[in-house]
Formats: sequence, C-alpha cells, structure tokens
Amino acid sequence: METVLRKIVEKKIGSHTEKDKVGVLLKKIAAVFYDSLSIIIFIGIWEIAPRVGWVPQTFISPPTIIVSTLWDLIVSGVLVKHIGVSLGRAILGFVCAAVIAIPLGFFLGGWFRLFERIITPVLRLLGEVNPFSLFPIFILLFGIGEVSKILMIFWVCLWPILLNTITGIKNVDELLIKSARSMGVGGKELFFKVILPAASPNIFHGLKTSSDIAFFMLIAAEMIGASSGLGWLIWNAQNNYQIPILFAATITISALGLFMNYLFVRLEHKFMSWKESPAEY
Amino acid sequence: MKDHLNSLVDKFIDVSGIFIFFLLWEIAPRIGVVDGQFIPPLSQVLLAAGKLAADGSLFIHIAASLQRTFIGLVLAIVIAVPAGFILGGVFPRLSKQLRPLLRVFGQINAFSLFPIFILFFGIGEVAKVSIIFWSTIWPVLFTTIVGVQHVDPLYIKSARSIGADKFTIFSKVILPGAAPVIFTGIRSGASLAFLMLIAAEMIGASAGLGWLVQNSAVNNMMPRLFAATIMIALLGVSINYLLYLLEDNLLEWKQSSGRG
Repeated sequence: METVLRKIVEKKIGSHTEKDKVGVLLKKIAAVFYDSLSIIIFIGIWEIAPRVGWVPQTFISPPTIIVSTLWDLIVSGVLVKHIGVSLGRAILGFVCAAVIAIPLGFFLGGWFRLFERIITPVLRLLGEVNPFSLFPIFILLFGIGEVSKILMIFWVCLWPILLNTITGIKNVDELLIKSARSMGVGGKELFFKVILPAASPNIFHGLKTSSDIAFFMLIAAEMIGASSGLGWLIWNAQNNYQIPILFAATITISALGLFMNYLFVRLEHKFMSWKESPAEY
Repeated sequence: MKDHLNSLVDKFIDVSGIFIFFLLWEIAPRIGVVDGQFIPPLSQVLLAAGKLAADGSLFIHIAASLQRTFIGLVLAIVIAVPAGFILGGVFPRLSKQLRPLLRVFGQINAFSLFPIFILFFGIGEVAKVSIIFWSTIWPVLFTTIVGVQHVDPLYIKSARSIGADKFTIFSKVILPGAAPVIFTGIRSGASLAFLMLIAAEMIGASAGLGWLVQNSAVNNMMPRLFAATIMIALLGVSINYLLYLLEDNLLEWKQSSGRG
C-alpha cells in the first residue's frame, strides 16, 4: 500500500515538475520576445521602409535581402574566411599585448616604484598617440603585410592593459599584504594568493577596454589597407556598390563585437565571482 | 625649505621620464640606432611643426578638425541628453524596452557605416560630422539613462516631501544627481570621436590633422608626419583636460575623487 502511494506521489510530483518546466520555458520565451520587441519592430520598419519607398532601396537594402546575402556569403565560405582572418589578427595582437603588458605592469608597479614614476608619463603620452597616425609609420617600417596590422592592434591594446595593471598592483591594499605576511605567507604564495587576485579587477578592466578598441581599430586598419578581412569586405562592397554585402558585413562585425563583449562579461563573472559586482551599465 | 626642495625633486622625477624620452628620440636617429629616414630626430620634427605653424596651415588643419569634432559632439549631446532624460525619467518602461536596440546600435562600428554615410551625404563635411555624431551619441545616451535611473530615490522623495514641484525636482535634484555619470559618457564619447575623426579624415578629406598625416605619409615627409601625430596627441589630451575642467566647474558641489 505504501509503495503504491509513494509511486503515485512521485508520479504526481514528477508530472508536476514537468509541467512547471514547460511553463518556465514558455515564460522564458515570452521574456526573450518581450525584451527583443524593440529590435523586432525596428527590423520590421527597416524591411518596410525601402520596399514602400520611404528611403531609396539602392542605399538601404531591406533585411530580407541582407539575410539572403549573408546566407550566400556563409554558404560560399567567403564570410567564414574573412571572419577567420579578422579574428586571427585581433587575437594575435591582443594576446601579444597581454603577454607583454601584464608582467611588465607587475614589474613596474610592484618592484621598480621610482622607475615607474619616471616612466608613467611617457607611457601615458604614448598611449595618447593616435594609432591611425602611426599606421603609415608601421607600414613604412614593416611593409603593408600582416605585421603592420597586427602591430597596430598590439599598440592599441598595450597601453590600457599596461596602465591598468600598474594601477592595480599599486593599489593593492597594504593591509592585505601585511596581514598575509604576518601569517607567514611569503614570496610566491603572497603573489598568487594576495597580490594577483587583488589586482585582477583592474587588469580585467584593462583587458576589456583594449579588446573593445582592438576590434574597432582592426576594422579601420583593414579598410585602409588590406586584401582580406571584414574591414576589407566593407571597403570592397562600397567600391563595387554592393550595398547588401556592405550591410551584411556591418551586421557581422556588430554581432562579433557583441559576442566578444558577452564573452568578457562571462569570463569576468567566472574569475571574479568573489567580488561584489558594481552597478551595471 | 626642505619641503620646497622635496616638491622640486618630486616634480623633477615626474618630468624626467618625458625628458629622457625626448632626448633618446633626438639621439637615436643621429647615431644610427634607428633609421633617420623613418624616425627623424625630434629637432627635425619640431622644425617641421614650426614651419607648418609659420605659414599658418597648421592652424587651418587644427581648426578644421576641431570644428568637426565640436559640431558632432555638440549635436550628439543636444540630442542624447534630453532623449536620455525623457527615456530614463519619464518612460522607464520604454527605455527598458529600447535598451537591446540601443545596445546593438552602440555596437555598430561607425567605420562600417562610413560608406553608407558617404552614400547619403556625399563626401563633404556632413559625412564626417555624422561619424562623430554617431560614435558619440550612444555612450552619452546610455550614460544619461543610467544616470537618471540611478539617482537615489531618497533624494527625490525628500525633495518631494519638502514640497518641491516637478520642475524644481528635475533641475535641482535629478539633473545634478545624474550629471557626473553623464559627464563620464561625454568624455568617453569625445575621446572616441576624436579617434574616429582622424581616421575619417585619413580616408577622405582635404583638410584636417588626419589629412595632414595621410598626405605626409603619401609624400614621404616623415618629420611632418610626426609633427602631425604629436599635434593630434596634444589636442586629444587637451580636449580631455578641458572636459575635466568643465566638469569640475559645473560640478563644484561634488567631492572630487582621485583621478587615476
């Protein structure tokens, strides 16, 4: 008797949770729909406006045509190739900058305080130099190939990471270090358990800033001088008056940017779960 | 006396880095550590800058660049700040609805829109100003909405309980409360705008600092290129500084926090 009762109860609870799941799912879908309502309406207007003739269709193509162009580009493999090229450049420059800037920042901020004070104004000055005006110089020094484009990304990424790392290390609470020391923590452990975590929010901020700018700069660099990549795709589409391709490339770039942003937010959540998150912008 | 000496030493340490940097720049090309063809010594760069300043063309280019930045920035602020107040303060639900769309817009690289702007407005001033406008308006709009919505409700409630009317609450509580956040947006927008402007001028313009860089690079006039680069950096720094000054003056009541 008891077992039967239990079975019934289990069945009931089981079916109940199942129903709940469907309900939650429906609610989630509704929430997503509700959240993206403005985007849907915008796309609707965008679709209608050129077709009715509010804006010239030669300048602004309706989304359906853009999507079909996008599909063609994906199927023919062109888009994937260009995305690969652009991402490759961006990541290479970014990683090089991070690998150099973070340890350098640790050294400058942690060990050579006086030297840091002397060199920081120079670093700030260099960080203020517009990367575009350096582009011709990079081209002169390293040719028009990959190196000058990667170097440009490297240059753009280097300064935010370096300056933020220095600030992060310098601003580690003395009290934390002292209390760790008084408990007999020293050397490597002090560095990995206290200094690194305490400085990591700043370092992350630097990484995020530079990844944002990196992608931005890359597109511009590819528009000025390249033979592949998403920036080149836009440039080429404009020169050949292929407006749908232009819009398709623009959308791809924005989507990639949003995705990278999202990735960084996730990473930050993962690594800095101990930190209370400030108000979100 | 000792304090005076100490502060002098401090100042010396602060500028010594820049001084050494410039010195190295002057010496390295002269003794052949770097190719003087590509990286000319500082004195030649300064000479080129002096020449540009003497025949007045430097000021024409600076004025052209500044004018574009200024028009784009002011237009963006004039539209985005009121729009942000209305969205954030009057229609909070609508602003929540619009947020994803605005985020997507903000993510669209102004560079990839440049060709479209050119198609619409021609290659003239309007296309360049609209790039500035586009890249500034989103940060300002975002931060305005956030700033308005993050004004402490306690302030508004206490103002209301003293009998302040709606206009007073807006001008005396909400506006000052949101202003620091708005300024952050304006600053980041301005630095982005200046960056974009130089690039836009490099792609298509007949005056402006970006054009000067491009033209020097094409004609292989390296000292002039470096002179233009330095001018751009200086202008960027001074725009930033001016905005800080403006912020300090407008937000006197706010306790200044340490600036990193």
